[in-house]
Amino acid sequence: MKILAANAGTLTNFEVLDFLRSKGAAKDSTRVLANVVPSEYKVYDYLVKTAACNQTKENIKEFSERCKKFDLAKAEVLNIINMRPSSAVGVYPIVEQCADRFEDVEELVELVTTMLPPPPTQPESEGGNTQPESEGEKTQPESEGEKTQADSEGGKPKEGTDE
Amino acid sequence: MFYLSRLEHTFRVPPSLLSLPCEEVVKGELEKLFLDKVIAKLGLCVSVYDIRSIKGGFIFPSDGAPTYTVVFRLIMFRPFEGEIIAAKLKESNSTGLRLSLGFFDDIYIPVELFPIPSSFKPDPNKKDKGTWEWEFGGDPFIVDGIDEILFRVRSISYPSIPLEQPEQAKPFAPMRITGSIADDGLGPVSWWVDANPIEEP
Repeated sequence: MKILAANAGTLTNFEVLDFLRSKGAAKDSTRVLANVVPSEYKVYDYLVKTAACNQTKENIKEFSERCKKFDLAKAEVLNIINMRPSSAVGVYPIVEQCADRFEDVEELVELVTTMLPPPPTQPESEGGNTQPESEGEKTQPESEGEKTQADSEGGKPKEGTDE
Repeated sequence: MFYLSRLEHTFRVPPSLLSLPCEEVVKGELEKLFLDKVIAKLGLCVSVYDIRSIKGGFIFPSDGAPTYTVVFRLIMFRPFEGEIIAAKLKESNSTGLRLSLGFFDDIYIPVELFPIPSSFKPDPNKKDKGTWEWEFGGDPFIVDGIDEILFRVRSISYPSIPLEQPEQAKPFAPMRITGSIADDGLGPVSWWVDANPIEEP
């Protein structure tokens, strides 16, 4: 094995996700049909939960275009695209010496929140937190989240009986 | 976080595969060789991105199979120093935290890279496990592992393969990431949800 170029280009999370999707990775529950290896599915599972999930090529292109005026390093732009910080405190660790370089971080935050679509985890996790509670009291759920509900319901009554 | 790396490799294709298209076979062999493996200094191989060229196909004397020289690109997982990554908590003990990305588990946050002052609360039920707490403004902030933890990559090391391993040793990790959570905005996401910027005089 010979390494010709250790770094032949950086990829955003979105590009990796896009590549895996083009190979056929999807929310296929059986995971046998597509020509995707289990280790690739693990990466896919991680990436669909990040902000990369809803991004598109156009989003990212335009964002990096508009980012130029902030004079950010390439790695910082890449990191912002991957993390999609939605508040100043999210931008702060990514951008080196943020306080010195930026008069107003909010401008960058606003650009991020308007240009890049929000990650799917936030609504999901919020929903996940509220759902089990309400469902514990109510009766039967819809088909989609049956597994998680089964788990949480299986856990909750037990606690109740113990008490 | 992800890079492309261009490599060249020379390998033998077993004759049983020769009935299939060449590119398919080569790709399959490369996947078998590299996927989910760590190449020192390059990182963890995620996927074979593309094949640039396939040359050769020589059959060496007294060998019943062709040998190809292939140039290809791999998607490598290799965070850069200073990168911010979100990960899940995997382990928490007195030496620090261990985080996981799902496909990569060897991320360590040592005690010295915690926000100060942090303290460790051992769990009486589990041996040498426990939770970490950061005290700020009189309130304890707990690393509870419910939400994702943001960390900054401090260094990446590629330990060489040990010749002999003690019996109860942890499985050998060919790539280790050391991270830090000692900065504003780092640590569990919930720590910073309601954070307001404090105007410095």
